[in-house]
Amino acid sequence: MGRYVLKRAGIGLLQALGITIVVFFVIRALPADPVARLVGFNSSPEVYKQAQASLGLDASIWSQFVTYMSGLFRGDLGVSWVTGSPILEEIRSALPITLQLITLSFALALLVSVPVGIATAKRPGGKLDKGVFGYGLFAGAQPEFWWGLLFIFFFYYSWGLAPAPLGQYAPGLDPPPQITGMSLVDSLITGNFTAFIDAAWHLWLPVMTLAFIVSGPIIKMTRQSMSRVLGSEFILYQQASGLPSGQIARSTIRASLPPVLTLAGILFGFLLGGAVLIEQVFAFNGLGSYSVRAVLNLDYPAIQGTVLIITVVSLVVYLVLDLLLAVIDPRVKN
Amino acid sequence: MTIPQAPPVEGEHPLENLANEKLKTKRWFHDPLLVVGIVIVGVAIFLAAFGEAIAPYDPTVPVGPPSVPPSGQYWFGTDTSGLDVFSRVISAPRIDVTLAVSAALLSGIFGTLIGLMAGFYRGVFSSLVMRISDVLQAFPVFILAMVLVALSGRNLTNLIFALTFLYTPIFIRLTRAEVLTQRERSYVEAARAAGNSDFKIALKHVLPNSLTPSLIQLSVTVGFGILLTAGLSFVGAGVRPPNPEWGLMIANSAPQLVLGEWWTSLFPGIAVSLTVVGFAALSNAIERRVATS
Amino acid sequence: MTSTILKTTGLNVVYPTPTGQFKAVNDVDLELRSGEIVGLIGESGSGKTSLALGLLALARHPGKVSGHIDFQGRDLLSLDNDELREIRGRSIGLITQKPRQSLNPFQNVGTQIGRVYRAHVKASKSEANDHAIELLENVGINDAPRRIRAYPHELSGGMAQRALISMALSAQPELLVADEPTSGLDVTIQAQFLDRMWQRAEETGTAVLLVTQDLGIVANYCDRVLVIENGKLVEDAPTRDFFANPRDAYSKRVLALAGERAVADTADAGVSTAEPLLRIENLRKTFKLDDGKILSAVSDVSLTVMQGQSLGLVGESGSGKTTVGRLILRLLDADEGSIWFRDTELTSMKTRAFRDFRSKIQVVFQDPFDSLNPRWSVEKAISEPIDLHMKMSKDEKRLRITELLGQVGLPESIRTVKPAGLSAGQQQRVCLARALSTNPDFLVLDEPTSALPPVARVEMIALLKDLRERLGLSFIFISHDLSTVRELCQDVAVMYLSQIVEMGPTSKVFAHPEHPYTQALLDSVLFHDPLSRRVDREHRGALVGEIPSPVDLPKGCYLAGRCPFAEEKCRQEPQLLEFTEPGHLVRCWKAVGGVLNVVDTEA
Repeated sequence: MGRYVLKRAGIGLLQALGITIVVFFVIRALPADPVARLVGFNSSPEVYKQAQASLGLDASIWSQFVTYMSGLFRGDLGVSWVTGSPILEEIRSALPITLQLITLSFALALLVSVPVGIATAKRPGGKLDKGVFGYGLFAGAQPEFWWGLLFIFFFYYSWGLAPAPLGQYAPGLDPPPQITGMSLVDSLITGNFTAFIDAAWHLWLPVMTLAFIVSGPIIKMTRQSMSRVLGSEFILYQQASGLPSGQIARSTIRASLPPVLTLAGILFGFLLGGAVLIEQVFAFNGLGSYSVRAVLNLDYPAIQGTVLIITVVSLVVYLVLDLLLAVIDPRVKN
Repeated sequence: MTIPQAPPVEGEHPLENLANEKLKTKRWFHDPLLVVGIVIVGVAIFLAAFGEAIAPYDPTVPVGPPSVPPSGQYWFGTDTSGLDVFSRVISAPRIDVTLAVSAALLSGIFGTLIGLMAGFYRGVFSSLVMRISDVLQAFPVFILAMVLVALSGRNLTNLIFALTFLYTPIFIRLTRAEVLTQRERSYVEAARAAGNSDFKIALKHVLPNSLTPSLIQLSVTVGFGILLTAGLSFVGAGVRPPNPEWGLMIANSAPQLVLGEWWTSLFPGIAVSLTVVGFAALSNAIERRVATS
Repeated sequence: MTSTILKTTGLNVVYPTPTGQFKAVNDVDLELRSGEIVGLIGESGSGKTSLALGLLALARHPGKVSGHIDFQGRDLLSLDNDELREIRGRSIGLITQKPRQSLNPFQNVGTQIGRVYRAHVKASKSEANDHAIELLENVGINDAPRRIRAYPHELSGGMAQRALISMALSAQPELLVADEPTSGLDVTIQAQFLDRMWQRAEETGTAVLLVTQDLGIVANYCDRVLVIENGKLVEDAPTRDFFANPRDAYSKRVLALAGERAVADTADAGVSTAEPLLRIENLRKTFKLDDGKILSAVSDVSLTVMQGQSLGLVGESGSGKTTVGRLILRLLDADEGSIWFRDTELTSMKTRAFRDFRSKIQVVFQDPFDSLNPRWSVEKAISEPIDLHMKMSKDEKRLRITELLGQVGLPESIRTVKPAGLSAGQQQRVCLARALSTNPDFLVLDEPTSALPPVARVEMIALLKDLRERLGLSFIFISHDLSTVRELCQDVAVMYLSQIVEMGPTSKVFAHPEHPYTQALLDSVLFHDPLSRRVDREHRGALVGEIPSPVDLPKGCYLAGRCPFAEEKCRQEPQLLEFTEPGHLVRCWKAVGGVLNVVDTEA
């Protein structure tokens, strides 16, 4: 088992490295011109050259690469071409916000979807089943940013049940110190309950939006997986052997998990993307918003840094899921 | 995003197949899912071709007073610049749908061919393909799309290329998995024993029988292509204004929403929502009819 | 004195489907008595499994069982879950058709056996563990303490079935429901299982319901026969009466054909002035396994098939018979040895040249549905070899296909049908027509009847015989079904763990099998004769244990570990094929020396 972990971790590292290298070259190969963006399209050649040098773009692509990679190994992701601050710092404050958002959304989705999926699996073909199937189909096909806006319109504008979409905290509030970077956690740790309530108040709508979208596929998959297991030979045999129903139920759930776990991985990747849009709509300063700014500003180091960190995070999540899978399902390790 | 199917459990009850068998023989117009799918997709394609032509107003220029709510003259109202929302909504498929369909088809073709080779010929090529495809899968599609599009220029061709690039791994995976299964079947052996070369076996026998998952995936991919395009445009990394595009329209309307101007966001949003649901429904309906076991 | 153990009245099993209710079992009344073994036969889809499960008041999700099931004075369908739980797995045992799939893939075998044990008996975890070990040892699984930690996917089918049977029997149930428990098992292993079950019923008075499609099993083990068709019981008779006088149409057909076969002559030896058509010399094929071990699929196999003759190649799992077929067809390449077809040596031919040569050697595989491209019509499937090897005009081709369809007994109307629209028998005929389309000189038939239902099987054998005479075909018939081989093939070669252990004319080998393995094999054949049952005979040469896989083969006789006549010399010396009489080769020094039954007590 340990060897399996090491092997997967090693592969993951190589993958992260691979993507970093590829992105490095790809963005430099594409026609966009960050220098022009910085100094304008009508600048004089001297100003252009100066700007180019300041961004390090005057060196050959290889020396740029070497500089970047050596920096990377020292843990230095470079500085932003727009703000001048170290990328690592900027990402360090942005990432937790996104992670908090995603985790809460995912948890909510699972909490609601899995029981529903299980319930409908037990009564196939019924009205609930058909309704749930329709819901699953519908929810999984929605543009989350539009739903975010819709929810804002109804819950904030029409009914006043949510705050204005102005970020993590109300504008006037004194935010708690950044310990983990996650609003709920920080306010809880520092015992700042006003901030905690405020943070939760600002979180509930974006979390619900994301959870809504992700719940569709989860329900579908849970129902399908569970239904297949319920009809399987070995569950039948357990019944025929007179095992207690509690044991059989646990068996059933355990056997239904693997495809759901696999789906969770895919959905996580999706949520990272979806978080970008939701962060824009609700004005959160997470990694999603950061990446949008980086891309639109042609801030190469920021783009590279974002890509690297997101890849690492994704790979870690996939690794964890794979490990869980290997623990649950002994057939995996072959 | 591709939603995988729950894998069949060993010893599965053939009753599910019984239900599916009955479904297959049902007339197609009795299957609500299929009907919904076909209708919506049909309308979408129609609008992609003729939407702009039948629009009452030019979708790219102001035609009336700004911020007018839906009325007899402007069915969906006008936005802050005085553009007719209805005309823009029905002209948008020309970009959204065409883009998504092209990308889906291209990625389908490339992915299937590569997947066929990767599955049929084992060895270094196959492993390499899978590793690369794995790496791409590991990465959030949206951010990669943003990077690709923003950096190569925000025109339609680049959008199509970016989407194709992002969706090809899905088809590679699906096809390769199916090819691996089909390759073990006796009819492939029989074809070899009959005197076919490997190449002929791959083309005549394995490929046609490995297409089903990809075909089902195509429709769903179109749907996700539309969502991705709308999302990219929403953040400003997709289609350029003043092109009519649903995501752009929603982005422009967002600031006005909290002031009560609902029609500029609602209609384009419904359009996206409905269209993607339609493609997804079509895909699901086809899947249920074609499922063999 | 026999007493009624279980009695059903109006038993129904219904499944809800989106299009209505499906009745798998329809108003069945039956009775099972202690010490009685009752066979339940029916075609696929007739409802036999649903009925078998229904006796435990079980149905596959989401089916429902209704009616009355009187078990020892209680109506099972009126009991609640806890009461049912006590009965299932203890008073009523179940053995399923697919043992590996009946086990929880997420738990190891020991844990599962232990859980079932503790569900019925108050025991601690370690006591349950010991029980599991004991159980496995009782069914002859060596190294039980290590084996119980294996997961289901790591076990062979035979081993898994052993574990399940012992689990079911260890609870000493009053009723045992066995649903096709030996399907997929090797013939000799099947005999072991069924013997054991029969013994148990005799000793303890357990009632057994044995679901099967095999009339041989029914004839040899069952006291009574039930026939189910479309959910209804259409026959309920003592076995002898049933075989003498079947009442329903399905049984009549099968028994009639089976009866013919039992009487059929052994294939004639034929005149051997013909030349050798296919000659295999010292063929060897090995595979390297993931853990570095070597699997010997084929070791030093030499055989000859004469023009116009048919050779049967028999063996069980791991024998290598299938691999030999594949080597002849060059679907696999041999490590060593040569294959001569007339005067052409096949293994050294270049791939492209051999491809053209394939028109002369064709094949029919075991699974007819799997061997046909699901999207191709019959016509397209049959024309493929023609298109590859022969130049014919459209009309010529059409005529040729008509001719072929006629030869295999298929109607013209079938040309445009796709495989899914054909029965298994028809599919296999299409495969045969396809194989014959290029006028091959030689056919490799790889278990062509094993996957066919009984009636289709009989028809296919008749067809093959007919074609052999009419077209002068030569073929090699790979099979584990000895009765078929006896009918169809003039010569036979028996293989065990990659070697040929006995070879000669079928009449001689089957009448006087010399090798202990051949003897055991023949002994395991179940004839459709309830008057001469296996359980009434004595079996001296019975083999013990499972069939090992051909990995790490010993230096001496490969059978030594299981052979009742084995002694030290057998284990030490590699055995060679030698003649015991002209044309009859045996790989056993004791048989050759005529001292098979003499056990050297001083060694």
